[in-house]
Amino acid sequence: MFRKLLIANRGEIAVRVIRACRELGIRTVAVYSEADRHALHVRMADEAFCIGPPPAAESYLNIPNIMSTAELLGVDAIHPGYGFLAENPAFSEICEDVNIAFVGPRPSAIEAMGNKAKARERMRQAGVPVIPGSDGPVQSDAQALGVAKRIGYPLIVKASAGGGGRGMRIVHSRDDLARALQTAQVEAQSSFGSGELYLEKYVEEPRHIEVQVLADKHRTVLHLGARDCSIQRRHQKLLEESPPPGLRERFLNALGKAAVRAAHAIDYTGAGTIEFLVDRDGHFYFMEMNTRIQVEHPVTEMLTGVDLVQWQIRVAAGEKLAMNQGDIEFRGHAIECRINAEDPALDFRPAPGTVTSFVPPGGPGVRVDTHAFAGYTIPPYYDSLLAKVVAWGGSRAEAIARMRRALGEFTVGGVPTTIPFHLLVLDNAFFRRGEVYTNFVQRRIDLAAPS
Amino acid sequence: MDRPTFDLDQIRAIIALAAEADLAELTVESDALKVSVKRGAPVPAHAAPRQAGGPAAAGSTPAGAMGDEARSTPADNHFQPITAPMVGTFYRSPNPDAAPFVEEGDEVQPGQTVCVIEAMKLFNEIQAEVGGRVARVLAENGTPVEYGQPLFLIDPSLNGS
Repeated sequence: MFRKLLIANRGEIAVRVIRACRELGIRTVAVYSEADRHALHVRMADEAFCIGPPPAAESYLNIPNIMSTAELLGVDAIHPGYGFLAENPAFSEICEDVNIAFVGPRPSAIEAMGNKAKARERMRQAGVPVIPGSDGPVQSDAQALGVAKRIGYPLIVKASAGGGGRGMRIVHSRDDLARALQTAQVEAQSSFGSGELYLEKYVEEPRHIEVQVLADKHRTVLHLGARDCSIQRRHQKLLEESPPPGLRERFLNALGKAAVRAAHAIDYTGAGTIEFLVDRDGHFYFMEMNTRIQVEHPVTEMLTGVDLVQWQIRVAAGEKLAMNQGDIEFRGHAIECRINAEDPALDFRPAPGTVTSFVPPGGPGVRVDTHAFAGYTIPPYYDSLLAKVVAWGGSRAEAIARMRRALGEFTVGGVPTTIPFHLLVLDNAFFRRGEVYTNFVQRRIDLAAPS
Repeated sequence: MDRPTFDLDQIRAIIALAAEADLAELTVESDALKVSVKRGAPVPAHAAPRQAGGPAAAGSTPAGAMGDEARSTPADNHFQPITAPMVGTFYRSPNPDAAPFVEEGDEVQPGQTVCVIEAMKLFNEIQAEVGGRVARVLAENGTPVEYGQPLFLIDPSLNGS
């Protein structure tokens, strides 16, 4: 096992990794920007080192300063968390070169999933269902028209290097296709440095359902069930739950098996997530794989009792998974609400500032992962995630009731949060019936209504 | 591995240094120890001399406040730190056998190399941004330094005089 691990991240995930290390008896090194001098992860770690000024490009993305810190302080592993350098194959490779274990997959696996068009093709070959579309990138308008004729409208134009909704266009008819290709290409080129595009059938009112996998370096891949992340806004997830409501066990098993096939196809190691779109007729299609720990991992931890972050570290150290698929049990229902420092009444505008009071909820079945405290100043340089509240219940209804109770207890002073938004969702009749899809917030939640 | 023990002499030296330079606040940090010194009664915010703000900051301090401080510590109330622009190992000389680039009391010109920081097997020469007298060497030769860590204090009042 490792002796000393550096966390190349900040916020709640840095705190989460420090907790896992402490339980495993590993010493921790926090790195921080000048804006995070008083952050919780800096206080909690055994050692802390300032690596740059506030902008992430000069600190949390500053590979030379992070690697220098790792070498100077003699760490033998680096955990990248999520975001920042977590899915940067070059970073994983540099760690490999200097014999520091990267807690995550090998560079080749990150790369295989980094290019969306190539990943799609690879999954198709591995027998994982993909959305009907172009086989690889489209090279010309004529080729795109041919693909469109085969898969039908509406379709979606996507950037190979893309993510987060940029470089995407929905096309409803033949007449719109050429213009959509042109604008998506310009957007993709400026956002990602590559104008490569591919086409997919547009799935209407899909659900976003993802499968957690865990793989060791001895070719064992397990799935730890599915999470429904359909409650999102502008491709930002807000509420996640497991198991996805209203789906049969047989369907979830098929989904799990497809996810295991996907991970095997790229020799995956560590914790990862395979995202699927599920249409109204119950077909599922591979969307993308996140080759890292995810924000919503506690949902799965609550449901299975498996500590994903600890296992990520253990398999990175070469340990074999101590359980097999049959040992993974799914008990009850778990929901996570992301509490962001954003104002839902003002179009979810981020609201950096000082948290004047902070009383997180507790009691049975409630878990809170946070780096916030009374007096904490949220810097304007990073994301607005303030806390994750996870509620467990024997059934979905119990979990919803418990989450309402927990959010009711949660006091955050000084900054607006997404708590009122979550209470609206939890009280929504469609949500309570499990009728969720990725445009749920747009269609079902009236943010202007007095709460 | 061990918890750092407090070296009282070191802390005394830091307090003396803060007093000598008439700094309102001084934080010195190593991997083993962090010491913050805040001096004097709370003063109105506008009167607090900020040393890190570059040459303009010292000159723009309100005259009234300057007057009081100038009396208590003539001459050296505007030391400027040279901080580490990167994470690495701090070396005072170009190689182990060579003499240090600068010693306390030396005069340095703007752009003059004062130390090297080794990062990723590369030696980066660090230059003084302002000219003046080296009032203090704060970092120890051969030790890790973090981003923004003060390495030297320069007394720019001697610059060009």
